[in-house]
Amino acid sequence: MNFLFGKLTHFEAMLFFALVVSLTFAFLSKRGTSERAKYTLWAFLAFLLVAIGIGWLMYPFSQ
Amino acid sequence: MDETMKREAVKTNQMMGVIAAISGWIVPGLGHLVLRRWSKAAVYFLCIGGLACAGLAMRGGVFSAGAEDLFDRFGFFADLGAGVFYFLAHQIQAAGPDVAHATGDYGTRLFAAAGMLNFLTVLEAYDIGRGSEPR
Repeated sequence: MNFLFGKLTHFEAMLFFALVVSLTFAFLSKRGTSERAKYTLWAFLAFLLVAIGIGWLMYPFSQ
Repeated sequence: MDETMKREAVKTNQMMGVIAAISGWIVPGLGHLVLRRWSKAAVYFLCIGGLACAGLAMRGGVFSAGAEDLFDRFGFFADLGAGVFYFLAHQIQAAGPDVAHATGDYGTRLFAAAGMLNFLTVLEAYDIGRGSEPR
């Protein structure tokens, strides 16, 4: 597994996490391919937005 | 349908739900495979398995049963949800955990998230197995 995931940067790991969790939530909560695709995209973007937003909010405290 | 047949049907459904839940816990997606939900089974296996393997490859920590503080106990409960990936963690992660670095710490969270996601799929498998309307 190291050849696949061993060299991930933190940002890539976050992208991967956001994608698989969004996909799983979509299959748990929605029916039909288009509904699931829409939900996956929406949740994925929400994960990214929140993660980057929290990152920016924490930035001043890292100084 | 008379009363005996109704009771038998309920018992069969209960049994199917329990079988689906246990198999879904042991191998993510297997519960849905037993229930012939092919696409859900494949997605759950790939997503949860991928997340668990990513966590281990990033050298995340795996909580053991003998944890003393509450946080570690919650961690153990979350990790246990990953089923076979938890039991094979030491084989998959030959180099062992390295939580002194941020990547290892991130891996710990990814593995715990895989376990918690699998608990959700187990509940769904139990629900479908009992004959509830699949969502």
